[in-house]
Amino acid sequence: MQKLPDLKALQSGDMAAWDTAFLWLWPAAYGAAQIQLEPYLPADVEDVAIEALEELVEKVQEVNSVEELKPLAASIAHHRAVSRLRRHFAAKRGCGQNESLEAKTQEAGDPPEMGVWDSPLAMLEEKELADALRRVLAEIKPPQGAIVADFFLHGLNYGEIATKHQVALGTVGVYLKRGLGSMRRIWERNEK
Amino acid sequence: MNSMNDQNFFDLAMKAIARQASDAERAELDALLTGHPELKAEFDRLQVDVRTAKETLALVNATKATEPELPAYVRGRLQTKVRQALGRPKVSDERERELKMIWNWRWILGLATCAAAVVLLLYPVRTRPSGAMIQVAMLDTVGTVRGSETSEAEILKQEWKSSSIQSFDSPALLGNWETNWPKGSKVIAKVVYDRAAGEVRVSLHGTVKLPRRTFVVERDLPTTLQEANAFIQEHTKH
Repeated sequence: MQKLPDLKALQSGDMAAWDTAFLWLWPAAYGAAQIQLEPYLPADVEDVAIEALEELVEKVQEVNSVEELKPLAASIAHHRAVSRLRRHFAAKRGCGQNESLEAKTQEAGDPPEMGVWDSPLAMLEEKELADALRRVLAEIKPPQGAIVADFFLHGLNYGEIATKHQVALGTVGVYLKRGLGSMRRIWERNEK
Repeated sequence: MNSMNDQNFFDLAMKAIARQASDAERAELDALLTGHPELKAEFDRLQVDVRTAKETLALVNATKATEPELPAYVRGRLQTKVRQALGRPKVSDERERELKMIWNWRWILGLATCAAAVVLLLYPVRTRPSGAMIQVAMLDTVGTVRGSETSEAEILKQEWKSSSIQSFDSPALLGNWETNWPKGSKVIAKVVYDRAAGEVRVSLHGTVKLPRRTFVVERDLPTTLQEANAFIQEHTKH
């Protein structure tokens, strides 16, 4: 298991600690930026990940534990990626490009899913989103987390999930319902 | 609706939202929604929950990722940001006391150096010395990996065989060394390998203004040192 960087050393500007931290944080920032940008602005993924880590350096004094850093890096990268997409599509509209939906789809894949930019995630402040991600990581334990991800992210059906995780077919839905319920409670706590 | 029917509705809704429902399952869901209008609101709510869950899980997965690796050029840019935003590491009180003691000794050594410089100035110089005097130091604030530190010192020694390699564990002491130039007309080059920053700094000092340059260790240390040495030779050749 990778040794976590020391928060105090990071806050005091210790370059060796930051070198370790950057190696550890980069995949999170990159991955979060990639989720939003890959279909439309793939060339911008790296830029956004760099900007996110630069912003994280500025915010390190506000952090209470080193475990907060990865979710915060992902959260900042997510927000920056969404902002960049908004600017990109606003600029296109601003240029008076009245292209058809089909033309836009051919050029850059499907346009963003309706409501992606006003989803609960985009509505939260960076720190709030980071807190929510930390709670999801803490509360959704295996195999629930893996089952929920297989269904919602990887598109596996009930039968495939039952086989993969060696659980009864009838319990797959129960895992999904509990997982979704946990996440709903986390978001409701955030809304309050 | 009892809990079994509740779970059945949930499973049908999930399959429909994930576009995995068969025609029969889709028909069963439609029948449920028609027979129980209150379930329509729950179905809409589940659609929102699924969308939020997808986004959340994707971000959670990103925080667990271990790839891709950090590109070398990005590291340099981020280090610059750390220096700008957080500056040099602060020195602890204990370390500050040590530094004060060292300063006292530096005064004595400084006076001795001055005396030596006076002797050298009075010594007749017949020919202009060729090339630069090269002083080399390395900064290692971590100081935990003794083996690697030794090998890096050897790499520095290989590049500048006639120079002794000084090692500092404090940026403050190194700062003093870097800015403390011996008097005289000879061109002097100071080379600092900052291990944590992953860079090699070269400062030149002479009777005329000479440039200063930082080389980021991108490929490996020997290559970077060769570049630094070439820079010194270029600016000190007669």
